[in-house]
This record gives sequence, C-alpha cells and structure tokens, in this order.
Amino acid sequence: MGNTLQVVIIISLTLMVIGLAMVLAMGGFGFTVPPSSVRSLATIFLNTTFNLDTKYRYVSAMSPEAVTAIVWDYRGLDTLFETSVMFIAIVGALAISRGASEKLLKGFSKTRGGMSLIVKTITRIIIVMIASVGLSITLHGHLTPGGGFQGGATIAVAPMLLIITFSIYLFSKMITVSKAVTLRSIGLIGIALSAFIVLIIAILHGDLAYIFQNQPKLYSHYGLPSYAEVMVLGGTLLLFNTFETLAVAFGFTALFILFILPEEVVKDIIKGEE
Amino acid sequence: MEVEPFLFNIVVLSLFVNIAMSLYGVFVRPSLIKKIISLTIFSDTINTLVIVVGFRHAIPNPIPPVVIEIPPPPQYLRQFVLQAVDPLPQALVLTAIVIGLAVLLFLMFTTLQIYRIYGTTDVRKISRLRG
Amino acid sequence: MMLHYILMALSALLSISVVYLAIVERDLIKAAIFSAVQSALYAFLYYLLMAPDIFLTYIPVGVGLYTALILILIKKTERYEGE
Repeated sequence: MGNTLQVVIIISLTLMVIGLAMVLAMGGFGFTVPPSSVRSLATIFLNTTFNLDTKYRYVSAMSPEAVTAIVWDYRGLDTLFETSVMFIAIVGALAISRGASEKLLKGFSKTRGGMSLIVKTITRIIIVMIASVGLSITLHGHLTPGGGFQGGATIAVAPMLLIITFSIYLFSKMITVSKAVTLRSIGLIGIALSAFIVLIIAILHGDLAYIFQNQPKLYSHYGLPSYAEVMVLGGTLLLFNTFETLAVAFGFTALFILFILPEEVVKDIIKGEE
Repeated sequence: MEVEPFLFNIVVLSLFVNIAMSLYGVFVRPSLIKKIISLTIFSDTINTLVIVVGFRHAIPNPIPPVVIEIPPPPQYLRQFVLQAVDPLPQALVLTAIVIGLAVLLFLMFTTLQIYRIYGTTDVRKISRLRG
Repeated sequence: MMLHYILMALSALLSISVVYLAIVERDLIKAAIFSAVQSALYAFLYYLLMAPDIFLTYIPVGVGLYTALILILIKKTERYEGE
C-alpha cells in the first residue's frame, strides 16, 4: 500500500468527522452535548463526599476526593471483586508457566547479561524516584487525585525497568515469583481485614457494625477517625489504598517475571510434557 | 452554529471512528499480536467514551471532583456541586484500566504459548494445523 | 474554556490518524509505537475531561507497561505480520 493512499485515507476520515460534527452541531439529530447538569446520583455523591453538616453526618464518606470515596466506600464490594478478577488472571498465568522461575535460579548461578554500568547507575537513582512518586500518590489518595490503583501502577514500572536493565537473572535473585505472590497475597488479606476492621472494633465493644463500614452510621456508631480539626485522616480509605498498592504492584511484578523468562528455560518444560 | 457543541461532537465522533477501526483490526488482521494491539485501542476508546458521558458543561468552567477547601463552607459546597464533573464513571474506569492490563497480560501469555507450540502467530496457519 | 474544547478536538482528531496507522502497519514494532502515541493522546484527553485520577493511572499503564510488554512479546515471537 502506497504512502499517498494512506495520507488520503487519513485526511478523508478527518474531514468526515469534522463534517458530521458540523451537521450534528447545527441540530441535525437534536443532541447538544455536553449537558449542563449531572445525573442526580452524581449530585448525591458530590454533595456527601466531604460534608460536616449534621444533616449529612451519617452518609458522608469524609474524603475530599470523590473518586476514592466511591471506589472504596460507596462501592467497596465492586472493587473487592475486581481485585479478585486480577488475582484470577495471575493464577492463570502462573498455571501456564509452572515451575519455570525455580528452574531459572537453578540453571544459571553466575551473573550475566544486563546493560552497561552507566545505565545501571542511572536506573538505581530513577527507581528511588519512581517508588517515592508512587508512594506519595498512594498515601495522599484520600486528599488529592490518586489512590491504590494509581500508585500501584506507577510502582509497577520500577520492576519492569529493573528487569530490562539488570537482566532477568539478576532480578530473580532479588525477588522471586513466590515472594512477589506472597506479598500480593498479604495485600489481599490486608484488604479483607480492612473491610472487617470496623466490625471487629464494634464486636470488641460488645456491639455490631456493617461490613465495609467507614464512618459512623445511624444504627452503628463506630468508625475510624477521619477528621481532626484541620487534618483529614481518611478512615479506612488510607488502609485500603496502602494494601491495594501492595497487591497491584507485586501482582504485576510476578506477571512480568513470568512473561520475560528466557525461551530456552521455558521450552524445556514444554518439551518435557510431551 | 455554536462552536463548543461542534468541537465536542468532533471528540465523540472521532471516538466512534476509532471504535470502528479497532474492530476491523480485531476481526480482519491475521496476526494475533495485531489483534492484541487493536484490542487495547478498543478498550481504551470505550473507557474514554464512559468518561465523556460523565463530562458536563459548567459556568465558568467544570472542575475535577475534589473538594479543595477544608473544612468546606456550605457556600463552597453548593458551588462545587454546580461545577464538578460526575465522579462515578471515573471510579468505574479506574478499576477497569488496571484489571484490563492484568487480563491482557493473560492473553499475551496465551499468545506466547501458542507461538511456543505451533511456531506461528498467524491465525490462518494456526487454523490449518492439527494437533 | 474555549481553549479546552479546541485542544480536546485536536487531540481526538490526531488520535484518528494514529489509530489508523497502528491498525494498517505491517511492521508490528511501528504499530506498537503508534499505539503508544495514541495512549499519550488519550491521556491528554482524560486530563482535559477533568479526570485526573484516570490520567494518573493511564500514564504508567498505557504509555509505559502496555508498550513495553507488547515489544517484549514481539521480540519473543515474530516482527512482521505475514500476508
């Protein structure tokens, strides 16, 4: 296919979009986007995400960040099950390449591979920067845009960079797959415990509370501290964000190690089966 | 003709065109890797459409759904509800992106396994092979 | 406010051409790079659509990890799409 034809196709697609948009804006089909109001559900979320008024005391999530409040408070169960979907994907990948990472450590005891000294030194500096940015995104998740998923995805860039610059042999001496999966499971257990923590506190006081409860509700007056004069502490949101970062970052680390394993190591396993 | 709806329509319609092209890539192109690339474009475009649903037009301008005055006075909160965009689609897309990456990694593992066993990533050759 | 809409329309229009090139390109490495450019344009679009959370997630995932993983997959399998 010639270059000229591609340019012509791109220009005609662009012109088609501009023309159709012009027709629609002139009132062709009667929708004028964007709307000037949000849905009433969104109004409730926006109004109660951080409201000190006594009228909204039992519905407010006490987090200035509406997205984090929805992810871990209003719709916490959804997020819990989405996290388990990711865990199942990791289990599937582990089942495909079983036993490969242990074989890697046995076969190659001497260090080999990797890029030059300059690249390695600069990577060592950059890893610290990436980790601190990711942690800052996570720990301020209830105050500013950010949270567990964002921080975890940012930190997951670090093992990728380490594997590429230091080679998989050196990296699997630092973190093995089983260690990464263990840390990821600790994150999941932490998320499960954070879901029950208010219930545990209430039972210790001889009372009952809801699962996934963050702030005091009408029939259960227990909750984690969330607002002390000028400081916003976040309640359970801070715990959820921290453990979710652990889960996302180390889950991806395990997948990266399995994905980048050298072909000659994996081929032996496949041939051994047949 | 108002200019702002026109410019916003361009955004929505180009997302539709992107959906069409990525579906062509998923269905027609023979290489499994090209199918995966098209699938990422498809899911990203759908996510963007969901975000577009939550966008709004506000006077003087829309703001992200983050309260920046602590403690918020009632006057500020009233203005915040009138200006902030819908946070619910953002919360749903946020998890969808990260989970999508994990599921896509699983697809890549399967593609790699197919290449290890059959020695090709071309679906036409794979369908001809037996065993 | 008008500038917002103009930048949104520009990045969306640019994404059409980049997506087209990513779909029709035979060389899979070039297709992966075009896909990364598309991710960057979408990230800019998220920022303009007042979604800073999605922006923060999408920069490492869309531009960094997707591209790196697809490049590694191409390195392990084959580079050119057969005809």
